[in-house]
Amino acid sequence: MNLHDDPAEAAFRAGLRDWLRSRLPDDDPSRTWSTAQLREWSRDLSEAGYAGITWPKEYGGRGLSAAYQAIFVEETARAGAPDHINIIGMNMVGPTLIAHGTDEQKARYLPGILSGRTLFCQGFSEPEAGSDLAAVRTSARRAEPDGYLLDGEKVWSSYAHLADHCLLLARTGPAEPKHQGLTCFLLDMRAPGVKVSPLRQLNGDTDFNQIILTETPVGDADVVGEVGRGWSVALSTLAHERGTFGITLTARLVAQFDRLLRLVREVGAEGDPAVRRELATLHARLQGLRYTGYRSLAALRRSGEPGAEASILKLEWSLLHQRVCALALRIQGPAALLDGDDAAWHGYWQRQRLRSRANTIEGGTSEILRGIVAERVLGLPRSRQ
Amino acid sequence: MDFALTDEQRDIRRAARDHLERHFPAMRVCALAEGPGGSEAGTWPELIRQGWLDDDLDMVELTLLAEESGRCLHPTPWWTTVALAAPYARAAGEPLTVPATFADGAPDGAAHPGAGTVRATRSPQGWTLTGHVPAVPQAGAVRCVVVRAHTEQGPAVFACDTGAPGLAVEELSTLDTLRRMARVRWDGTPARLLVEPTDTPEAARRAQLCVGVLLAAEAVGVAAGALDMAVAHARQREQFGRPIGSFQAVAHQLTDAYVDTESARSLAYRAAWLVQNDPETSPACAQAVDEAVLVARSAAVRTCETAVQITGGMGVTWEYPLHRWLRRALWLEAFPGFGDDPHGRVAEQLLRRGGPDEITPSTPDGR
Repeated sequence: MNLHDDPAEAAFRAGLRDWLRSRLPDDDPSRTWSTAQLREWSRDLSEAGYAGITWPKEYGGRGLSAAYQAIFVEETARAGAPDHINIIGMNMVGPTLIAHGTDEQKARYLPGILSGRTLFCQGFSEPEAGSDLAAVRTSARRAEPDGYLLDGEKVWSSYAHLADHCLLLARTGPAEPKHQGLTCFLLDMRAPGVKVSPLRQLNGDTDFNQIILTETPVGDADVVGEVGRGWSVALSTLAHERGTFGITLTARLVAQFDRLLRLVREVGAEGDPAVRRELATLHARLQGLRYTGYRSLAALRRSGEPGAEASILKLEWSLLHQRVCALALRIQGPAALLDGDDAAWHGYWQRQRLRSRANTIEGGTSEILRGIVAERVLGLPRSRQ
Repeated sequence: MDFALTDEQRDIRRAARDHLERHFPAMRVCALAEGPGGSEAGTWPELIRQGWLDDDLDMVELTLLAEESGRCLHPTPWWTTVALAAPYARAAGEPLTVPATFADGAPDGAAHPGAGTVRATRSPQGWTLTGHVPAVPQAGAVRCVVVRAHTEQGPAVFACDTGAPGLAVEELSTLDTLRRMARVRWDGTPARLLVEPTDTPEAARRAQLCVGVLLAAEAVGVAAGALDMAVAHARQREQFGRPIGSFQAVAHQLTDAYVDTESARSLAYRAAWLVQNDPETSPACAQAVDEAVLVARSAAVRTCETAVQITGGMGVTWEYPLHRWLRRALWLEAFPGFGDDPHGRVAEQLLRRGGPDEITPSTPDGR
């Protein structure tokens, strides 16, 4: 057991911290990044070797352990850095192709994903397939001689308006049992019949998109894994998401908590006993979350699988983030009524307070996650028939 | 960073669990809870043989033993010995292998209900103690009481045998009958000086960290033990033709208890490692201990209460053992030996610091 960085980890952290400081001198949460700025930022990250940290060296990555990825997400969160614009490609599609892709697919897509030239989005969720993902209805009809035609609707797709390609789950076997008739495709977002429109969330932002597909052609060469085995490919994609994702979320929450402390001082709420008690409780629980993440990371290093405790990270994170945002608005008193440029921090906390309601829904609802813990960790009988 | 137990630490935990399961199944623990003394002296020599009182156990190893003890409510005075008394014996460079506890006859700051007053006077024959402490844990079950007492040079720490002349121990009715409180009176009782007045503040500060870590560790074990019982029940108990654990309303409560318990465990291990390896004077270390205590105490109470809810009508009977765990959780929540306001200390520390969170492992110095 060792809670400190080892010398190599410490050197990596120090180098990264310097690099970030030279580019992002201070954390400005209300800063908005244009697409052009995000592209430039992402290119810089890739050129500095901070993309594909855990990818195998043979695919252009650095071949480092998840511990380095954890350092990366901690330091970038601390610096208030935005995500790499190709985060879906880097964290989900790339590892999926490395595991399931053909040599041709790897050669075609992996270099562009790493450099940020080829942007990816993901098309899994649908209006009728949310928690029950295997219920996807988007159909892939056989179109001889060498492909399929896609029809359907995908929702909650980040970066779809910018993406060049989409990792998509569609139904190739409508007559088969629902988990068996699915196939994963690499869809060209510029193909005919692809229409992307923004989904506006309850706080007014548009972080996600809807994708409508109408007789959109994909080729046999665009199938990931085997036809009819898309469910297991999708599960492995989601498993990659859950690998160090909990640590990423936690690192951002640590930075968010520091912003909350700044706000507490700004509005002069330091002396309020109820605020002090909530701050102490939240900080303690946040550290509990953080160190549970480190335990899971250590298990990942030892066995290749994150430990059982990994399944609670997102669940606990979402509840804590909601409490942090709620406190931030509460301590503003009547000033919390305002929004936008008339509010403190240009309405940052108003947006976060509303946005955080989605935290217990996106990326696995709390109800689904509790069910997973109950069945797989506690060994309770299945609730579904 | 590598936040995982080593193979050796796992072995220690396994051996501890084996020992405790062999000697203290729940029914045996319940019988002891209702008998005189609420504790069992017969296994003490075996604890010594197995190394539970070794001088060279580090904080992480003690944490694992305390966690396992909490899981089965280990009914011996081991916890009071290592968590409360041993830190002072260690400060004096003495091994402590007899069952022991700690009485605070010269508490810091505002007096709390468990505090008392003891004065030490020096005569040519040595030191004697006079005074009382109204509630000392396990005093009726131990052979040695370590006492912080006033001297003319300020508080110092002494040790006396429970059989010493002028020492009276009166057991009190206690919420947790497996860890009974007793009123202790000293009347010219001979005692040995353990820690000089000049060294006592530092020894007390270190002792406070040790108490905090082992209190949190035991609370984690109590929560884990109660959760195990409730999960086992939810797998077996059928209503409406299905095991009740298949109902989401039941399963999700157990999941929340699991989240609380794992979070508390992470904090207890972190605090133990920091106390063992970081400079003990670092504010981060004290804060880590405070955070472990405040999360673990409430995790223990909440998990025990959830377990009672899940075990239903059975869980609220006297015969079902679960209330013993709930009682221990409530004991840990009320125990004054760790100062009264960890929330206040954490908040103070947070609001005092200017920059972003620098608590380990974000320190780039590679220690």
